[in-house]
Amino acid sequence: MFSGLKDKVGEVLLPGDEFSLETEDTISLTERVKPEKVVCGPGLRRSGDRLLVCKSGVLRHKQPNMFWMDSQQRRYVPAKGETVIGIVTVKSGDVFKVDFGGSEQASLSYLAFEGATKRNRPNVQVGDLVFSQFVVANRDMEPELVCVDSSGRANGMGVFGAGGLLFTVSLGLARRLLSPHSEVLSDLQTLFPCELVVGMNGRLWVRSSSVQQTLVITNLLQSCDTMTAPQRQELFRRAAQGAL
Amino acid sequence: MMEVCGSSNVTLREFGSEQSLLSRPDGSASFIQGNTSVLAAAYGPAEVKVSKEIYDRATLEVLIQPKVGLPGVRERAQEQCVRETCEASLLLSLHPRSSLTLILQLIHDDGSLLSCFLNAACVALMDAGLPMSRLFCGVTCAIDADGQIITDPTAAQEKESRALMTFAIDATERRVMMSSTRGSFSVHELQQCIAVSQKASEKIFQFYRDSVRRRYSKTL
Amino acid sequence: MAAGFKVAEPLEYHRSFLKENCRPDGRELSEFRTTTLNIGSITTADGSALVKVGNTTVICGIKAELTNPIVEAPGKGYIVPNVDLPPLCSSRFRPGPPAEQAQAASQFIADVIESSEVIQTEDLCIERGKLCWVLYCDMMCLDYDGNVLDACIIALLAALKNTQLPEVTISTETSKPEVNLEKRRGLHIHKHPVSASFCVFDDSILIVDPTAEEESLSTAHLTVVTDDEDRLCVVHKPGGTSLSGEKLQECISRATARQREIQKLIDKVIHSVKTAQ
Repeated sequence: MFSGLKDKVGEVLLPGDEFSLETEDTISLTERVKPEKVVCGPGLRRSGDRLLVCKSGVLRHKQPNMFWMDSQQRRYVPAKGETVIGIVTVKSGDVFKVDFGGSEQASLSYLAFEGATKRNRPNVQVGDLVFSQFVVANRDMEPELVCVDSSGRANGMGVFGAGGLLFTVSLGLARRLLSPHSEVLSDLQTLFPCELVVGMNGRLWVRSSSVQQTLVITNLLQSCDTMTAPQRQELFRRAAQGAL
Repeated sequence: MMEVCGSSNVTLREFGSEQSLLSRPDGSASFIQGNTSVLAAAYGPAEVKVSKEIYDRATLEVLIQPKVGLPGVRERAQEQCVRETCEASLLLSLHPRSSLTLILQLIHDDGSLLSCFLNAACVALMDAGLPMSRLFCGVTCAIDADGQIITDPTAAQEKESRALMTFAIDATERRVMMSSTRGSFSVHELQQCIAVSQKASEKIFQFYRDSVRRRYSKTL
Repeated sequence: MAAGFKVAEPLEYHRSFLKENCRPDGRELSEFRTTTLNIGSITTADGSALVKVGNTTVICGIKAELTNPIVEAPGKGYIVPNVDLPPLCSSRFRPGPPAEQAQAASQFIADVIESSEVIQTEDLCIERGKLCWVLYCDMMCLDYDGNVLDACIIALLAALKNTQLPEVTISTETSKPEVNLEKRRGLHIHKHPVSASFCVFDDSILIVDPTAEEESLSTAHLTVVTDDEDRLCVVHKPGGTSLSGEKLQECISRATARQREIQKLIDKVIHSVKTAQ
């Protein structure tokens, strides 16, 4: 099943490309046949028994049957469970409005912080940066952020402290930085030790030992988006020699 | 990231495109056909004005900017053609109550302008990563005084032609999405021009595929 | 019950009719609404006509003025068409400068005039490089119920046929134009372009002469303009869902039939006006 689709994994596809999801005619008698369901990630749509591509990019696959399109996009579209860096823009009553770079602002309840109660309000000002997670993100409702996980712990989320620098990179690079064994990140960490927060919305926050080094890291990350691995390593090495 | 395509039996002028060349928009592209050149920028899905909000789909705005002066009636008519073509190929219902803006800046007009607008629009929308159900391309055909069909005519060829037709062809079924014509012609000539455009569209679609492949070559 | 269904699910409501090959107003898929024509309704204009296609009403007035020819075309006069969709005709139009639809319609009419050569602009020249006629053709929609383009073209054609231009001579002594309002003659109409508009429902069903409601629910529009020699002048499809060659052919043959009907109608009305005088 999905053999046509699996052949195309790692290839570039365009909107309008189609795949058939019909079950194969031959059923193996020895193995137990499990009804398989394909899981469509971003950029893929199901229409009846057909699978349609709706974004240009590279087809990716994860066992057993998850497929998605890896595309280079700049505008962030929220998805449930993703963590982003937002900027508090409005404080109104019991919710904050947070700009995360999408089509509308997300709401963030003041109770959605670790240890916050009606009496004990978190200290959040307009202009503060928050690292938070989407609990509601669908096209028909206002997106909603929280700064706690399901057990009520901050788990790294919350308001950012003083210092550091916020900048933006492409969404593709942000995803690459967040992948479990990110080469970019390991290249960077060996040469420039720093604190780095990556939001899925392409916003990055960096703090290191000096302002100069923070700026160097910022520039390196912004420029390594369109580079191949050897090019990037060369650049990092040159920067390390020049900066140190 | 500049690519150029040669020409064979259905002769199109050399065409090329560059993507993500502007830093601010969410998607941008330039499209060049011979000496005709258009720059396109796409923004969205972004916040929408309350007066333009549509409850079940995104609002698409297309703005055509001429080289000098303000857009006039001709630009408005072209905007309408480009907008309705894009609306049919974009999946607008996936981003309700948001706005998509497509700005087409004319750089140089040397014939086949509307088709160049359409091609630039398609590449820019693709670059912005907006969900689309199909791709489309624009092809212009001119019929000269001897009844010969010229695809992708220059401004001089357009001026001498007896009739001029621009079609938008969709990538999945190769059918006509948009048609805009000038001059009088017979039914047979129309069908011939559609057939020629469909043939020419194959080249443009192949070019789209190649240019996207080149763009993603580093992350393969 | 039916009224509630119509309001809540307009698309389903129309689909249930189209399934039976008819439409909510009782027409067949390829049937036009009743077209009525009145010529010379505005006595102060040089030419005018009022057209009703079903509820859609368009009035066209033509005003001729003397002017200098443009430098690029010294031997030609010119025609300036303008389509006005005022707030009066439908709630969808707001007061203010013309919206995109009105501007696109004006451009469409200008394209039809240029492509069909309904009037040869050389006929409007009085003296080469010095004096010519400019025809301001103003089409105003009084009631918008869809298919305004077809109504505009009929109104324009009938009004042009109705136009009487006064005789102009250039006096040899003062070299100033002298207009003889007593002596008038009609314009020479070379071609009779007539349009037929179609809507595509659900990517496949073609309906002719859509009402405003059908227009807003459909996925694509198409307007075909043909002249008396069955040549196509304009095939205008501003985007929307795609259409196959066969469907297009169907539209064209319906448009040529429509051209005959309208030309007959215009001739009949002009004849009846003449006999009445």
